Amino acid sequence: MNHLMILSGVTFAYFASFVLYLFRMIFGKEFWGRAASFLAWAGLAAQTLALLLRWKASYDRGMGHVPLSNLFESMIFFAWAIILIYLVVEWRTKNRSIGVFAVPIAFLAMAYASISPDISNRIEPLIPALQSNWLTSHVVTCFMGYAAFTVAFGCGLLYLLKNMEKGDKEKPSGFLGKLPSLVMLDALIYQSIALGFIFLTIGIMTGSIWAHYAWGSYWSWDPKETWSLITWLIYAIMLHARYVRGWRGKRLAVLALIGFVSILFTYLGVNYLPGLHSYLKS
Amino acid sequence: MLLKKPNPLWSFFSSVKLTIVLLVLIVLIFIIATFLPPQEAAQEFVQQLSLGTAKVFFFFRLSDLYHSPLFYALMGLLSLNLIICSINRFPASLQQYKAPYFPEPAGIFDNLPQNQIIIANKEKSTVSLAVESYLKAKYGSVRKIDTKKGHVFYGERGRFSLFGVYAVHLSVLLMIAGAIIGSIFGLAADINIKEGETINVVNLAGGKGTHPLDFSVRCDKFTVEFYENGAPKTYRSDLSFIKNGQVAHRGSLLVNHPITFEGLRFYQSSYGTAPEIKAIITYTISRNKSREIVLAAGDTLDLPESKAKAVVLRVEENIMELGPAVKLRITSPQKDVQFWVFKNIDEIKTANPGLLSQVPIFNPGLFKPLVFSLNRIEQQYYTGLRVVSDPGVLLVAVGGALMVAGLMIVFFWSHQRFWVRMEQEGTKIRISVAGRSNRNSAVLQQQIDNLCKRIGQELKA
Repeated sequence: MNHLMILSGVTFAYFASFVLYLFRMIFGKEFWGRAASFLAWAGLAAQTLALLLRWKASYDRGMGHVPLSNLFESMIFFAWAIILIYLVVEWRTKNRSIGVFAVPIAFLAMAYASISPDISNRIEPLIPALQSNWLTSHVVTCFMGYAAFTVAFGCGLLYLLKNMEKGDKEKPSGFLGKLPSLVMLDALIYQSIALGFIFLTIGIMTGSIWAHYAWGSYWSWDPKETWSLITWLIYAIMLHARYVRGWRGKRLAVLALIGFVSILFTYLGVNYLPGLHSYLKS
Repeated sequence: MLLKKPNPLWSFFSSVKLTIVLLVLIVLIFIIATFLPPQEAAQEFVQQLSLGTAKVFFFFRLSDLYHSPLFYALMGLLSLNLIICSINRFPASLQQYKAPYFPEPAGIFDNLPQNQIIIANKEKSTVSLAVESYLKAKYGSVRKIDTKKGHVFYGERGRFSLFGVYAVHLSVLLMIAGAIIGSIFGLAADINIKEGETINVVNLAGGKGTHPLDFSVRCDKFTVEFYENGAPKTYRSDLSFIKNGQVAHRGSLLVNHPITFEGLRFYQSSYGTAPEIKAIITYTISRNKSREIVLAAGDTLDLPESKAKAVVLRVEENIMELGPAVKLRITSPQKDVQFWVFKNIDEIKTANPGLLSQVPIFNPGLFKPLVFSLNRIEQQYYTGLRVVSDPGVLLVAVGGALMVAGLMIVFFWSHQRFWVRMEQEGTKIRISVAGRSNRNSAVLQQQIDNLCKRIGQELKA
């Protein structure tokens, strides 16, 4: 069985999992939630296997590199990391509500990677600039960071949704009644951002070390570098606003959305600006 | 401590509002900068602007915002803000660090939730021992005080985490300092070296002139390899570093594998083909064949056997549809001749019998007794090297490590303090558990719940 076939199965599993999380939200029955979680876990396991198979396939073709070297591979890894972090949060908090926001993002990443005509799913050999041991640590830490921020984004959306209906005491039933409390969502946003911030910091630093060896400078103001710093600063602002100025709840949720837009631009938007990180262009 | 008076400037710089405003401004500058054309294309861009807009463009140095006075000013203010904020807050943190264990914060045992109160039906000394040993195992050391109301125990962890935030702030300052040192004392230059060429001067980046080296660098060979799909596989420059006329170091320079020599780091950054082509020729004299000689147009070659000198006039890939050829001019005290040396001379002779006597300029043996032959011609590569020295790198690296350590402390640790009070209540012992933490109250509550549970278990055992 080809790893690409497994990946299309995984894409379908994530979509089905999203639909089941949606059912759980609409019908308010935990049965749907359990089925959704099961599919997400199964998808994660299958995707892990597919990633390992792709890794092995690159060795079989004499190229031998981690499947983290182009846009397709990074998107697949991004989806993998989102599901992983989301499922850990779900398991820790014993609450399945965020799934309806986090899982579809992973599904979209998978679907976009396989459908977009601009993204080649072929295993390509590494060009000289990518032939470095720093490739793995840089890409893994960056995308774990992105994924943690994506979970924060999901929690932020949920917070705003719940907050919108807060005054409406008449209908605490159904979906909104099942949501985690605002206090808990606020804590989840903060914790995901803290985790993402550490990963992003390490990601920027490993990138810097790599750039030091590859380009002769740890910082070149390449647009991707600058945008990763912009993202880092946005979350730094958020953390200071929370620690020192006591920002909580709605403001934090809004900042989590802004941060996510910045992540998307750092990851994808930047590719339309001229720069050194051109490996991701196709 | 020195500036206790409410100095307005001091309070301005010690405000976190200022930090947030500065960070937002820096973010905006970065966003603008990434959308403006890069420095190389700025000239063209400016020509499309009106005079007024162009003036604004130059005033703010929009062509290179990252090195503009505006950006430097913001970074300066941010650094000042960071330093003053930290100085301002440090005494409070120190006080927290030195905070006494006893007496416990006032009212800490009032209105405790039910689960934080354990009623034990045992001897006071047994309970006391159990609580003390458990706290000791969990928090390393435990303090104890006897009050009118009974024993109070104290355990804590993560006291050092009070300083995590200072580690992060210090790390930012270290990195800024490293960047400043690098930009003042560092060097970044580029140089293209043709195969076989030796250089000892490099061109400073940004067109800031040239910089002589204390040694010279020769490119012995440049190799580029491609994958089957046409993507590049390897760029490699075989370099020799020559000091005082001797090769002091030889190495292969690859992307991601720089070479350091005499404090300068050399990076493989680009390559290209030189406009001239190389001719690889040999000559024979009385049946002795010379070694292969690599020559480009303009090069000279000594011919000691005939006390003559050859100059390469032209190197052609394909002349008169007869294939590759070089034109040589050989001068000796007796003679001065010019002739072509064709690579395919044998085929040409066969196709045109008698050619060499009719057109002596086609005769590779015109300068007797030497006979030249052209073995092949090659594209000549040059390698593009980046030459860097940055004395600030170490500081930046230390800053980076400190930042990661500091962030871990800030996010994963907190200063958690626990007080456990034992009171005699008739024949029973009433144990109250309370705690305080500088942040992460959710984690503290978990710890307290866990503590209560474990003390309960300990007493049952």
